[in-house]
Amino acid sequence: MLVLGIGNPGRRDDGLGAAAAERLRKRRLRGVACDANYQLNIEDALACAERDIVIFIDAARGLRKPFAFRKVKPAGGLPAMSHALGPEAVLAVAAGLYGKRPEAWVLAVRGRRFGVGEGLTEDGGRNLELALAFLTDFLKGLRT
Amino acid sequence: MGQKITIEPVTRVEGHGKVTIRLDDAGKVTQSRFHIVEFRGFERFVQGRPYWEIPVLVQRLCGICPVSHHLAGAKAMDVVVGAGPGKLTATAEKMRRLMHYGQILQSHALHFFHLSAPDFLLGMDADPAVRNVIGLIAVDKELATKAILLRKFGQEVILATAGKKIHGTGAVPGGINKNLGPEERDRLLKGTADLNADLAIEWARAGVELFKDYQRQNKDLVDGFAAFPSNHLSLVRKDGALDLYHGVLRAVDAEGRKVLDDVDYQDYLEHIGEETRSWSYMKFPYLRSLGKENGWYRVGPLARLNTCDYIPSPLAQKEFEAYKAYTDGKPNNMSLHTHWARLIELLHAAEVVKELLLDKDLQGTKLVKTGKRAAEGVGLVEAPRGTLFHHYRVNADDQITMANLIVSTTNNNEPMNRAVHWVAVNVLSGKPEITEGMLNRVEVAIRAYDPCLSCATHALGRMPLEVTLEDAAGRILQRKVR
Repeated sequence: MLVLGIGNPGRRDDGLGAAAAERLRKRRLRGVACDANYQLNIEDALACAERDIVIFIDAARGLRKPFAFRKVKPAGGLPAMSHALGPEAVLAVAAGLYGKRPEAWVLAVRGRRFGVGEGLTEDGGRNLELALAFLTDFLKGLRT
Repeated sequence: MGQKITIEPVTRVEGHGKVTIRLDDAGKVTQSRFHIVEFRGFERFVQGRPYWEIPVLVQRLCGICPVSHHLAGAKAMDVVVGAGPGKLTATAEKMRRLMHYGQILQSHALHFFHLSAPDFLLGMDADPAVRNVIGLIAVDKELATKAILLRKFGQEVILATAGKKIHGTGAVPGGINKNLGPEERDRLLKGTADLNADLAIEWARAGVELFKDYQRQNKDLVDGFAAFPSNHLSLVRKDGALDLYHGVLRAVDAEGRKVLDDVDYQDYLEHIGEETRSWSYMKFPYLRSLGKENGWYRVGPLARLNTCDYIPSPLAQKEFEAYKAYTDGKPNNMSLHTHWARLIELLHAAEVVKELLLDKDLQGTKLVKTGKRAAEGVGLVEAPRGTLFHHYRVNADDQITMANLIVSTTNNNEPMNRAVHWVAVNVLSGKPEITEGMLNRVEVAIRAYDPCLSCATHALGRMPLEVTLEDAAGRILQRKVR
């Protein structure tokens, strides 16, 4: 199982994904590898292809609740000019190149501020706690 | 949990690019503009921070090229701590070079194989839904696989030298905070069955051949598309060799005459001006000696191979000779040849990474030097997309009081506008409807310069490319967003 946190901790709540991956890593959950980076990119497809289950954690805007969780599948839609990829595109690359289709989910954590700066906002930090509590139960369920 | 949610791309995705094309009553193009919303929030953010934080802080600018900002910031702080150019220990200088060339390798591989190759292999008229890496996998799976492994190799070099994926701490004012252990070295040199330093060189060579084949078969398109004369600026090594980490400033004009040469970049303000225009937040840099009108220049791979005299690695030098012969030794002003230049640099980077990995200085233990403290420092590197300037002033309490950054995308502001204008005049003019194929060509012209809009905006943003067609009165005729 792979947990991939996405985001830039130097942009306040954009660091929610990276913070989540780091906290989970410290818990040393059995069978769960954690990694984080500024953004998803093509080489992440290789890491996804090596796992049965992948959880992407990312900051989100516009959510009505503190976090949301949804299953994701490989898709062909890609931004036309971006250097970065979305979870669906990374999964599509994993499927296309390596024939692997891990089960995957996105955990979206609501952020409030994304400007240059340090630390999560109070709201972002609270949402992260709630999201991680949910994810811990979810992972426990998957392992049993 | 079944409801649909939207996760908007946030800061790691680059800024917002906008192209506006205005037509007269006859449908002819009268004006075209490529603009990016730019805020200068970052320069304000670092004011008051202690100078030693700069190499880490500047990575907040952008998730696309954090290593370039890390090294440019560190080089500026080297000057502040009295360990400027030429004063670092051999271990520190070579570790930083390894980090930088690892970054060049992974960035160039991503750019060509995954962002640009679909334009060539699938065609500029291909549906955008397939003109991407997914489409590339369908037509050339092996190429797509190699690109992923090249990226991974470059990322591993960065991780081994910078220490962390996010907010790397490798470079510090006056040096580096780690050397490369023998195990790390061997892991990168020997690699795996999938990829090692030698395979990276081989695949980079194959990339150059791929482009050359395409160019031979599509000469008119590749040579003619968005070709226009310009000045070219970059760092070169003191002896004129290509050097992406350190050197002196050199600029040549469209005919190859030297406009600047052997300029210490600490004095860049004497030679480079930044013009503001009412319609764009992004500045327009120019060579002061040529003035605002004629002094604009290109930076990046095309410019670098126009300013340097040779490439100091054998395989890339051989390709450089063929590249230069194509224009009879004159500067190359063809926008799509930027990809050719980029691939030669990719090959050079792979060669340099291997050469450095074999250098025992990387296992040295003298990591940091300091000298006489200075109140100001400028750091430059040739980032993947071009020359990157970092300039800071520091007060007696060690706090940053001024920061000025000129990023590669800003340096290429006028050339990108010229490239868009070329497409507007040569592809869109007289045809008042934007078709997908036309829009693709606008994108291809911009993409040759590999803009990083996040760096350019210095602020969070998104990266749709919005193309708007207006009539003579400014009324919107058509708008397309990617």
